[in-house]
Amino acid sequence: MGKTWLRDYIIKRLIYAVIIAFGIMTVTFILIRVGPSSPADKYLANLAATGQDVSQVVAAIEARYGLDKPIYQQYVDYIANLVQGDWGWSFSTSMPVMQLIKTHWIYSFQLIFLSTIFATVVGILIGIYSAVRQYSKTDYIATFFSFIGISIPNFWLGVMLILVFSVKLGLFKTYYDTTLPLFSLANLKALILPVVTLGTGMLAGYTRYTRSAMLDNLRKEFVRTARAKGLPERTVIGKHVFRNALLPIITIIMFDLGSIVFGGAYLTEIVFGIPGLGQISFNAIFANDYPVVVAITLIGTFIVLMVNLVTDITYTYLDPRIRYD
Amino acid sequence: MDKLVSKIGKNRNLVLVLAISLLSLVGVLDIFLVDKIFAPIVYFYIAFGIVLLLYGVYPLYTNRRLTRYYLDRTKRNRLAIFGLAFILFLILMAVIGPFFTLDPTAVNFEEKDLPPLGFTIEQSVYDAETGKLVRVSVPSTIEHPLGTDNKGRDMLAMLVSGARVSLQVGLLATLIALILGTVIGVLSAYLGGWADNILMRFTDIMMTFPFFLLLVFVIFIFGPNLAIIVLVIGLTGWTGAARLIRSEALSLRTREFVLASKALGASDSRLIFAHLIPNVISLVIVMATLSIPGVILAEAALSFIGLGDPTVPSWGTVLKAGQQTLDTAWWVAVEPGLMLFLTVLAFNFLGDGLRDAFDPKSGL
Repeated sequence: MGKTWLRDYIIKRLIYAVIIAFGIMTVTFILIRVGPSSPADKYLANLAATGQDVSQVVAAIEARYGLDKPIYQQYVDYIANLVQGDWGWSFSTSMPVMQLIKTHWIYSFQLIFLSTIFATVVGILIGIYSAVRQYSKTDYIATFFSFIGISIPNFWLGVMLILVFSVKLGLFKTYYDTTLPLFSLANLKALILPVVTLGTGMLAGYTRYTRSAMLDNLRKEFVRTARAKGLPERTVIGKHVFRNALLPIITIIMFDLGSIVFGGAYLTEIVFGIPGLGQISFNAIFANDYPVVVAITLIGTFIVLMVNLVTDITYTYLDPRIRYD
Repeated sequence: MDKLVSKIGKNRNLVLVLAISLLSLVGVLDIFLVDKIFAPIVYFYIAFGIVLLLYGVYPLYTNRRLTRYYLDRTKRNRLAIFGLAFILFLILMAVIGPFFTLDPTAVNFEEKDLPPLGFTIEQSVYDAETGKLVRVSVPSTIEHPLGTDNKGRDMLAMLVSGARVSLQVGLLATLIALILGTVIGVLSAYLGGWADNILMRFTDIMMTFPFFLLLVFVIFIFGPNLAIIVLVIGLTGWTGAARLIRSEALSLRTREFVLASKALGASDSRLIFAHLIPNVISLVIVMATLSIPGVILAEAALSFIGLGDPTVPSWGTVLKAGQQTLDTAWWVAVEPGLMLFLTVLAFNFLGDGLRDAFDPKSGL
């Protein structure tokens, strides 16, 4: 036993992650090549929209994208560029894609970070309360609202919040104000509606996970022992039940971060006009800005891969009962 | 009649293969014909109907006692009944609604921004005589019970069209995903060894994929089109079903009745079709019910960001348009979202109810 199998496991997972990353790059390459329009077409559509003569640029673009080379050479170049961090040039904003991402990732990050904190803290608290007072009125109300929270489409919730709090009550602006300094109270206030929008679904989910994880542990023998020893209820719940329930909760939150949150953040950014990566990808789609769409898809996928990898490893490390083969 | 039904039912796997091949043949011929018999999507519907009849309706019809038992258990869950009622209403709305409503794409600026029944709003209207903007109150009209948008399109008609889109995408994509998931899960469990290993690794990889980004990417490349949206969701959404069916199949393999059947010389295909699939079907039904809302939401989200099929009004596109006119016509954003929300809620309620009803251990 010992730590060797854990090390082997981590190495194995890392190798998988690299294979998957290559798989994803290959898939995007194939999709781009199979797709009905080439990067050149998208670029031309862009130029034509500005009224330029496009015929002379075609050759230049094909050379720029290596479209005149054989397909395997294009594939090798594509992968090599990505690995070296040359992610191309954004047509619509005239700057390197990497530069664009560097200036905008913080907006996505602050939204996801604050929403996760909000959902985790509130969700876990409600979940604990619900489990401890199972079948009480509060428990029923919490269960009912978590059902609603899970089913409500977050982009619609966002629009409804704008309708009530911005349009009717005038408490907030209808769009996120990009001129606000990042670390200020005004910025925090501007983020309240987006955070609620993105956080509600997560909050509802975490309430339910916490409740069921707590209930599982409340029925365990060691809880009865702890109570029999005469420990105060607060200690039993806090130390014996909650600590054991925490592991599955954290795992679920981390996995959620990977898959669900990305889609949600993308939509929330668009609803409120927050200039994060989702908004950039959205603008790029309608500007036919190829490299940006590719880059954000790849980055999103890589981040999800990394988060899942870290989750798996932490989980294995924290819970010695788990052994993967 | 009963004889014929039971004959078909006993050979339903054969019937399914025959029916699907016949359908594909007609479909392929249809593509080459100048006069199309059906639109491509209709073939999917027919396939869906056949699968539903053979594997859903037939077993329930022959096992009436079991059917009554399920019904009884489902009935005790009031939320599940609400879900079922709403879904039936939605299906009715999608199927026959378009014959009774106005044209959802008909633009009429004379009747723009009409409020839904029971509401009256204030509007600024240009007065030609004085050349000034005057406030007038606009009442709702019976012709547009849910109001109109800023181009005068009828909200009710657009919602009906949206119900059609949502159900189409939800049902078809889930059907594709479940068939794929069942095939992969069963194969994985029965082949075992390296084949199982590869299939499950592949499933793991697919599971970690941020599916929404992939969807956006594919639509960006291939253009917005309902068929593509259905295909992508169907081809990526099978992972949960595959895992569940594999684990169920693995545990079934060691059960006595399967071992007995094996000892009597049953072939692998008989084991799969006569024992395995009928035993996982209730699980698959629950899974389908619970995965449909996710698909519907994904489609709505895509249309909301402008990547939906531009030729048909769907809940997502109407909602997006509604966000632009929140200050003048709030109902345009409220109504499609409410429909979407209720639909998702209904499927979740029904799915939970069915899960409890199918689970003999649950204390209902």
